[in-house]
Amino acid sequence: MAGNNGGGPWGGSDNSDDGQKTNEPVGSGVGGQKIPEIEDIVKKGQEQLRVLMGGKSGKTGGSGGQNGSGGISKGSLGLVALGAVALWLFTSLYSVKPEEQSVELFLGEFSSIGNPGLNFAPWPFVSKEVIPVTREQTEDIGLGGRGDSGLMLTTDENIVDIDFQVVWNINDPAKFLFNLAEPRSTIRAVSESAMREVIARSELAPILNRDRQIIADTAQLLIQETMNEYDSGVNIVRLNLDKADPPLEVIDSFREVQAAEQERDKLERQADAYAYTVLAGARGQASMLLEQAEGYRAMVVNGAEGEASRFSAVLAEYTKAPEVTRKRLYIEAMEGIYGSMNKIIVDDTGGGGASNIVPYLPLNELMNKSNNKSGESN
Amino acid sequence: MSKSLLISVFAGGLILILLSSVFIIDERQKGLVLQFGQIKAVKEDPGLAFKIPFIQEIVRYDDRILSLDTVPTEVTPSDDRRLVVDAFARYRILDVVQFRQAVGVGGLRTAEDRLESILNPVIREVLGSEGVTSNTILSADRAELMSRITEQARRKALPLGLEVIDVRLKQTNLPEQNLDATFSRMRAERDREAADEIARGKEAAQRLRAQADRTVVELVSEATKQSEIVRGEADAQRNAIFAKAYGVDPEFFEFYRSINAYGTALSGDSTTMVVRPDSEFFNYLKSDSGS
Repeated sequence: MAGNNGGGPWGGSDNSDDGQKTNEPVGSGVGGQKIPEIEDIVKKGQEQLRVLMGGKSGKTGGSGGQNGSGGISKGSLGLVALGAVALWLFTSLYSVKPEEQSVELFLGEFSSIGNPGLNFAPWPFVSKEVIPVTREQTEDIGLGGRGDSGLMLTTDENIVDIDFQVVWNINDPAKFLFNLAEPRSTIRAVSESAMREVIARSELAPILNRDRQIIADTAQLLIQETMNEYDSGVNIVRLNLDKADPPLEVIDSFREVQAAEQERDKLERQADAYAYTVLAGARGQASMLLEQAEGYRAMVVNGAEGEASRFSAVLAEYTKAPEVTRKRLYIEAMEGIYGSMNKIIVDDTGGGGASNIVPYLPLNELMNKSNNKSGESN
Repeated sequence: MSKSLLISVFAGGLILILLSSVFIIDERQKGLVLQFGQIKAVKEDPGLAFKIPFIQEIVRYDDRILSLDTVPTEVTPSDDRRLVVDAFARYRILDVVQFRQAVGVGGLRTAEDRLESILNPVIREVLGSEGVTSNTILSADRAELMSRITEQARRKALPLGLEVIDVRLKQTNLPEQNLDATFSRMRAERDREAADEIARGKEAAQRLRAQADRTVVELVSEATKQSEIVRGEADAQRNAIFAKAYGVDPEFFEFYRSINAYGTALSGDSTTMVVRPDSEFFNYLKSDSGS
């Protein structure tokens, strides 16, 4: 593409040489001593100029000038020569900025690297190219444009949308200049190829999550290796993986997965909450049961002990006066019993015994009466 | 006067001839000296060189690494899945004579066309060859495939005077019409994952609840057991206490406990008793002497 473009400065200079090279001997002549010759040449040059401009009439004018004004032409000659030298110096001296370096070519052949500062490339033998060396240049890849949508296929045939940025500078200006015809597009193409290669090796999930740095590093290494193979003098400073996302068409589903993960978490948390609640309740209930049992133990034992000691106390009294105590206890008990119950006293000592009378007693009626009295129906 | 004019014209002509017999080849170039279209000399090293003025002309070619991007083409790997592939080639002009003979005056433009028509079949052939599936292309073997493409392209481009340095695949994408299918598959996979997540969440929740419930039952039953043990011990203790106390005089205990029991058992209005007044209690009911 840039077949003859690269030779631009030289392709052009082929023609301009004719006009300007005539000046060149003039300049060097000033340095030497052969002033008359220069005079001659300049005069001839003036004549030629007149011939060119004014045709035949210029010829006569030119001859007049030569006759009349030898001294004046000598002075103007010096001025012209000085101007030529100044012009030559102006074209030969050039400055290189701190972030730049220059490459000098002597008659088309690489001669030296120019460092920042004022540099001298004697025209027309030495030509130069000034190149920004340390300045970092960036290539954004995957942001769309030129059919480059950033969609890449992973090894599990999923599609991932990758945007990244390659930052580069030049570590060898001569190689950079002489080896790559289209450095920017080469870096772009190599970067894209490398990234696609790396992506094609990995699965989707790790790209999206944890392997981003690994991918950036691997791709950078691959780009650098390839650029080194081309002997390009390009140094890849870093690779920024701006974006590694699922494509827009499916991003909602990915979000849903995230939502589902949250949901799962939520469900588990809720279950945890439930578990905490019921477990605490159960522990409380267990403690309650144990405490109740202990309470029962205290109650029963205390009751028993109380009852036992009461008995023992009564027994102690009883042993002192068994007959009387026994009677008294019996009568007191009976008093209590008979005092509070319905009773029918049947004296059948004269007749045939209670067994003869009982069948005739209106027991049901008596029962009902007593039931009604206690407030119960039936 | 006319003499000096003559001299100057002559000098000018001389300079012109001198200049047109000298040429410079740049570090970035290779040159070809042509005489009426016939190749007379090759100038590969940079620097100053000479030619016969007017009858010889110089053709310069770029000596740097040139690039060529192929248009995306569909390839069919052996598993019949179609992929859209494009590649870029880096190449340089190796042999200017061969190059000139092959591409004529068309120069690089013709060379690019020729190279592209070499690259596309090579890519298609390598990626469609036996054993190469879309999975191979989408794997670490990609590098190996690229070097195979490079190798074949290099061989085929040599007659053009071109040295193919490197062919690299750029995009290896699914054709447009397959994209939708892939997207819906990806969506389905995500949906599956989402459903799985939720199901697992529910599972875990259920398990946690069940475990909690189980622990509750265990805790409560254990506590119940302990409490029964305690109650049993209490009862045993009670029995022991009673036995100890009552064992001193069983006959009195029987009497004492019986009358107490009558008191509690026969209390209340619900009891009606038909009694003959001949029990010991009624001894003095009929007379003061007892009977």
